[in-house]
Amino acid sequence: MKRLLTYLGFAIIGIGIGGYSALAMAGLLPGDRRTGGSIEIKKWYGDFAMGSEDASPYFRARIARHGLLALANTEAVYFTRTVDDSGRPFTEGCSYLLSGGTMPAQWWSVTLYDAENFLPDNTDNALSFDASRAEAQGNDNGAWSAIISAEQPGEDGGWISSKAAGNFDLTFRLYVPDDGVLEQPEEMIEAPSVERLACAGGAS
Amino acid sequence: MKRLIGPLAASMVLGLATHFGIVHYAPSFIMDRAYTMLGERGTAVHAFNLAPQMRPDTQSVVRPSPDLAYSACRFDLSAATNGVRVKMAAYDAYSSLSFFDAETNNFRTVRGEGEQREVFLFPPWLSDQTNAAPSKKGIILIRRLAPTDEDYARVVEAAKGDVCEAIKDKA
Repeated sequence: MKRLLTYLGFAIIGIGIGGYSALAMAGLLPGDRRTGGSIEIKKWYGDFAMGSEDASPYFRARIARHGLLALANTEAVYFTRTVDDSGRPFTEGCSYLLSGGTMPAQWWSVTLYDAENFLPDNTDNALSFDASRAEAQGNDNGAWSAIISAEQPGEDGGWISSKAAGNFDLTFRLYVPDDGVLEQPEEMIEAPSVERLACAGGAS
Repeated sequence: MKRLIGPLAASMVLGLATHFGIVHYAPSFIMDRAYTMLGERGTAVHAFNLAPQMRPDTQSVVRPSPDLAYSACRFDLSAATNGVRVKMAAYDAYSSLSFFDAETNNFRTVRGEGEQREVFLFPPWLSDQTNAAPSKKGIILIRRLAPTDEDYARVVEAAKGDVCEAIKDKA
């Protein structure tokens, strides 16, 4: 009987360790914000194996959890970041300046998601900034900018609402990337910067 | 100590089996849940359903883009042994027709480029078919660029021409 209990105890420990390590390594634990990726451009992380059979089992599981139905890289590439330019995690309590220029793709967008990988629960109708809004700003050199904040900063200008987002992240999509993007992403993509402006309560 | 060799070995074997089992089956498990959930929200098998504009209260799959309009069709080739015919109606902005297997792989994508597109999807056991799906079940998704209410209204009209249907007779 004692021998049987020993086996049972060790079996439970083995299953527990195996299960937990799988969930952790595949990004399946609650609150895991690591989207991961082999490519890093200015704190934006992406992996061009997304959506394809070439993805490793761990990455495929992570994408199933955090980005199900993602397109393969010939149609779209995705980058995600969870921190501002100085490396501090994004939070609803702070405002940020998102800015960039011309992107090497037919269409692009930056969208805000909450910790559960969903659009945050607000009715601001301002959860994304895309190429059409950048074009509407009409800058000759293609430069554009938008504010990320819980309250609308003004009637004019780009805005992404972080209301009810808690600790959020941003996903940068490039649809129909230009030739060369898949081979030389770091050289081709001038990824948007995200500068922290101010925080509620006067935190710096 | 010798008495623990057996339990330790069993623990390691079970741990590794659990680890690789979870990693291996997680994508198909999550995909199966998404397949079922889409059905519960009105997407029939072999019929396109245009989702409402992507908003916090209408989203159903993780990380939807609020700038895109999504039409989804679930396919089940065990109920369509002759295959499935898919048509994406023309749309005058970005559009794509993409196919996802039960392992979450995007195994085919056709870009609209303003034209109507038609694709046939055949069962995986018809290995001589170049358009054979890797799995019996999966999801077909049309994305159309629609950042504004006006754009979405145009998608509503375009989507009326989308087709996802089981082929009744062999070609």
